[in-house]
Amino acid sequence: MSEVIQKSTLLDYISGEIEPKGTSISIRAINERGRATLNEVAFPTRKDEDWRFIDLKSITKNSFVSVDQAGTHEVGDISEYYLPEAMNSRLVFVNGEYNESLSSIDDLPHGVVVGNLADNADHDSVKSYLGTITNYEDDVFAPFNDAAFNDGAFIHVAEETVVEAPIHILNIFTDAEKPFYATPRLLYVGEMFSKATIIEEHIGLADNVYLNVPVTEFKMFTTSNVHHARIQRDSKQASHVSRPIAALDKHAEYHSYTICLGAKLFRNEPRVIQNAEEVDFTVDGLVLIDGEQIADTHSIMDHRYAHGNSHQLHKVVVNDTAHSIFNGKIFVAKDAQKIDSFQENRNLLISDTGKVHTKPQLEIFADDVRCSHGATIGQLQDEEVFYLQSRGLTEQKSRELLVYAFALESVESMEVESVEKMLLDEVIKYTNRDGK
Amino acid sequence: MLEIKNLHAKVEGEEIEILKGVNLNVKAGEIHAIMGPNGSGKSTLSKVVSGHPEYEVTDGEILFEGEDITEMDADERAHLGLFLAFQYPVEVPGITNKTLLREAYNTIARANEREELDPLEFEDYIESKLDIIEMKDEFLSRSINTGFSGGEKKKNEIFQMAVLDPKLSFLDETDSGLDIDALKIVSDGVNKIASDEKAIVMITHYQRLLNYIKPDHVHVMMDGKIVKSGGFELAEELEANGYDGLQKEFAVNGEAQ
Repeated sequence: MSEVIQKSTLLDYISGEIEPKGTSISIRAINERGRATLNEVAFPTRKDEDWRFIDLKSITKNSFVSVDQAGTHEVGDISEYYLPEAMNSRLVFVNGEYNESLSSIDDLPHGVVVGNLADNADHDSVKSYLGTITNYEDDVFAPFNDAAFNDGAFIHVAEETVVEAPIHILNIFTDAEKPFYATPRLLYVGEMFSKATIIEEHIGLADNVYLNVPVTEFKMFTTSNVHHARIQRDSKQASHVSRPIAALDKHAEYHSYTICLGAKLFRNEPRVIQNAEEVDFTVDGLVLIDGEQIADTHSIMDHRYAHGNSHQLHKVVVNDTAHSIFNGKIFVAKDAQKIDSFQENRNLLISDTGKVHTKPQLEIFADDVRCSHGATIGQLQDEEVFYLQSRGLTEQKSRELLVYAFALESVESMEVESVEKMLLDEVIKYTNRDGK
Repeated sequence: MLEIKNLHAKVEGEEIEILKGVNLNVKAGEIHAIMGPNGSGKSTLSKVVSGHPEYEVTDGEILFEGEDITEMDADERAHLGLFLAFQYPVEVPGITNKTLLREAYNTIARANEREELDPLEFEDYIESKLDIIEMKDEFLSRSINTGFSGGEKKKNEIFQMAVLDPKLSFLDETDSGLDIDALKIVSDGVNKIASDEKAIVMITHYQRLLNYIKPDHVHVMMDGKIVKSGGFELAEELEANGYDGLQKEFAVNGEAQ
């Protein structure tokens, strides 16, 4: 059986042909490119170094159909997921397809385009940059998205334009008769001196099986600035394999923040590429998993030019038999002097059966840099629990408070108030379970 | 208020007893000092009385206001009015002093069927206690003991004691690591909290704390037992002669009696 899997491509787990569906030339070209790659690249197995800890059964035991064959349920009222700060800057995609009636993009500043890719396929930025930022080698998932997407979100912020309201990209997944695949796509182009906050959210409304393979591309010109929050609240039966990538020109600032709460299998490969000197970026994350969830983050902070600051704090709480994997690479090229890069992965195991694998990696070819990394795996300290108990808190409450405190640091950096509050509620919900 | 009878205890899972038959009676309104050399079992006694799960009581009992608390969890003892000021207070980044104390205060209030305080009421209440340790408002919003100096940590313990208003407090080497100014502030704080209805047990190496908080009773602990009790003069005697004389007096075949 393993021999069969090794020889398979992702297409073997998809029912039916992946036909190019893009209505524009630029999207169809990417579809064709993706299809060609998919036929060449084998589906990963545990024999591949980058996949050796991950169990892909939640993908391989299913056969996924396209959304139009899945018998998807109606989306219903989703207003509870709207952000008050983004009532007029929201794009909604249901099972990967753009839903205009649930979206609202009024009142954006002049020079800002927020809309779906299909309708903006002739925009110069779409033609120039769509599909050009992703660079995942020997990968099947980015090419799968390339091959299958026919729409997605497009954001273009013109020169010297600041978008005050956060832009909310809401990917909603409904219940369905059959497991389906979805390929959300997001292209962000920030021109010189532009600034925006992007909340990219993935929400599963039911407990069904689906395969969510999003690709997000951030093209950031000189002195552009973005805060990008990715909140993954997929169905606990879903698989989410994402490829978020940002390319930064001089003086660009990109701050990303990924929260993983849902999905049975979460594989995230954030990458930030320094394409000029003097950039600043973060690749932070918070993972709260329990049950049999697997959360695997493989990140790359790619310094190719001098004077870059980068920072990564990836915090993980593991309960039950959940399994977290972290592989964070910091690359510093030969001429990329004066790089200041810091990476930290902190794991808190609150059950005896949870698993953590962590592997921070530095590959530095320059000689005048300051790069450091660290990883810790710990359990709640008895002394800390006793301290709080001696103040009158029950053992359970003491443990909850300590887990909450561990996660809090990450949530506090969220700049949108309603998102911070929602995340705090999620953290409380998570920590209120039996944390022993 | 507190009656400790023939208390024997060891670290859970290990063989060697640390407490080897401690007897102690503490009445309301009294201040006791337990002195003794390192390794005599003083801190263990405070942890066992507070219900630290690391220790196992192998014999004897602890009665608090007549109730046997020997098997109770630490939080249940705190609800009854027991408090331990830690020698090494734990740092908890992310949780503010105010958050912990409000949760603790209201948990204890609920357990005793007293009225809980809402955030605003609690704010007033907690601020009224800041003077006791001469701390500013911002102290309340800082994470518990995180980045605190040694002196601030000890002040924080006394501040928590003032807020939670326990009947009986164990102060485990509250004087260690304090400069003279901080020692005065901490001692003044304890004296302000002390009353006829409360009791305090101080654990200390040195007499200097006792110059600021006058104990009614002084006990000397050695090798897991209280070997001598007396008044303040016993502390003065120890300060003058050290523990050597007593160790010789009570050591028979290398074991204290």
